[in-house]
Amino acid sequence: MTLDRRQILAAGLTLGAMSLFPGMSWAQARKLVFATFTGSWEEAHRDVIVPHFRKATGNADIALDPMLSVDMIAKVSAAKANPPIDVMLMDPGPRLSVIGQDLAAPFPVDDSKNYKDLLPVAQLPEGPGIFFQAVGITYNPEKVKTPPTSWDDLWKPEYKGRVGITNMNSTLGTAFMVELAKTRGGGENDIEPAFAALKELQPNLGAVAPNPGALATLFQQGQIDISPGNFNAIQILRARGVPVEFAKPKTGTIAFLTTAHITKNSPNAKLAAALIESAMAPEVQTKLMQAPFYVIPTNSKVQMDGDIARMIAKDQEELKASFVFHDWSVINQNRAGWIERFNKEIKV
Amino acid sequence: MTAITAPGLAGPATAAWPRIGREWTLALPLAAFFAVFFVTPLLLLVAVSLYADAEMTRFGLDQYIRFFGDTFNLAVLGSTLLLGVKVTALTLLFGYPLAWLYTRSGPRMQSALILVIILPLLTSVVVRTFAWIVILGRDGIVNNLLLSLGLAETPLRLLYTEGGLVAALVQVQMPLMVLPLITTLSRLDPNLLDASAALGAGPWRGFLKVTLPLSLPGIVAGCLLTYAAAVTAFITQSLVGGGQMLFMPQYIYQQTITLHNWPFAAAISIVFMMSVLGVVMLFNLLGRASKGYVHA
Repeated sequence: MTLDRRQILAAGLTLGAMSLFPGMSWAQARKLVFATFTGSWEEAHRDVIVPHFRKATGNADIALDPMLSVDMIAKVSAAKANPPIDVMLMDPGPRLSVIGQDLAAPFPVDDSKNYKDLLPVAQLPEGPGIFFQAVGITYNPEKVKTPPTSWDDLWKPEYKGRVGITNMNSTLGTAFMVELAKTRGGGENDIEPAFAALKELQPNLGAVAPNPGALATLFQQGQIDISPGNFNAIQILRARGVPVEFAKPKTGTIAFLTTAHITKNSPNAKLAAALIESAMAPEVQTKLMQAPFYVIPTNSKVQMDGDIARMIAKDQEELKASFVFHDWSVINQNRAGWIERFNKEIKV
Repeated sequence: MTAITAPGLAGPATAAWPRIGREWTLALPLAAFFAVFFVTPLLLLVAVSLYADAEMTRFGLDQYIRFFGDTFNLAVLGSTLLLGVKVTALTLLFGYPLAWLYTRSGPRMQSALILVIILPLLTSVVVRTFAWIVILGRDGIVNNLLLSLGLAETPLRLLYTEGGLVAALVQVQMPLMVLPLITTLSRLDPNLLDASAALGAGPWRGFLKVTLPLSLPGIVAGCLLTYAAAVTAFITQSLVGGGQMLFMPQYIYQQTITLHNWPFAAAISIVFMMSVLGVVMLFNLLGRASKGYVHA
């Protein structure tokens, strides 16, 4: 057989296409794709959940693909029949979109060993909660001498130009506004008090960061000294030697449950369930709770310890008592209008 | 494959277009690539923008009516286009002398200069942008300098201001302006300047009457690149501009990713693209006019 130019060109193009789209040739037997969060979450999940999962499944192939919940939804809803992701992690707001758009398959609760040990708030059959995130007050102890105890402390005149917030695009920014409304007589259905409070905060505002990650770096640059902040983001800065502390407001720590979902139509549904099982296991959550990860556990069998016991809750009882959860089904309905309003009204 | 005729041997009938043989087929792979990965998504984008509601159930022009019916949206569009003008003007102002210096330098100096000009392109835009956060922060280089010189009593707010953003964008996009300028300025015949000097023109007059008009094509090309890059610079706009300064790229991101309002996001994308195209065409017209000017 002789090869002419056409055949060589065709073969070359095919090879090129295959290397561009490796998924094309491996569609049947692809790795389990776990879409985790970026940064320290990915590290924590790679170091703790993945080894446990591989041991439990006889070294099943797994790949982590870190991104935001909203990006996971965008990717999965663009390819519903053949989703590029098998396990998705969701913050409370996006979680409802996933359920509403029918993008997730239910977790096989009856076959699960660890599901019943989760705290009741984390026992969600659409996708169980595998950890909590906590939002409190972040401050620079070198500049803020008396540790803050209340959200109201952000309005103190001595913090003129030193307060940072994020816009409402992020879960953090939206939850902060809802909590603000709640502490001032409003709530998920009445955000007005929060916008009024933000107007009063204007002289103190040093920065409105585009996202929580950018907010955290502003402490490093000395741009801000006090802000609402995510406990885990603060722990990363602390580990890098940045002077930041986390304070629990007396009205409660804002908490979000992060849930893990099996993507609907995943070709790896069984393995996806096994991964979520590993993420719920008490030994995994105990390890994740310790340094350097500080992930707040949802499994009631985990003994609180270290920084989590000191800064968040010494046991599950205190956790239940101090965590404030918001109603994201109401928030999601109103959020578009709030963001539009924030776009228009908040100028620094 | 005996049917192929070498272009040079083409018969008299095709002599007017001596180069059109079958070589155009070589452009087919790229054309196909563009058709599949650029034109198709673009048409999809137009289609999505024509849905009347966020749930994408009915068609209608509602998204465009919503966009143009709210002065806030027009203000966002206007400030984005204006941001591009400010950045482009400053980049030209600072870039032109640099490009001119390059063409007047010896080979050693030229390699040093080209390194300085290219260097920003070799680091990621994220890294360059973060450097600006360090420079502009409250404890940053600029503020520390101002405080130690006694020019300011309290640190100034530089980060998350439009001035800071413009400065960062000018630095980040500088190579896009300087490289086309260098190309045109190096092709400029130095005898022309000598001739104008011999005829009695001073250095400024020589520059205004000879160098500047002849370098217009480079200016237009540089401005085009810088403008398009500055108005769409999502990363720099959000990291240095902050969360309360809204420009079109973040607006599109917000509507797509946070609010899942794809039809509105698609509509603002189309409006934004058309507006930028409009500005680009304006630059092109200038470029064409300058050609006429040069040859006149």
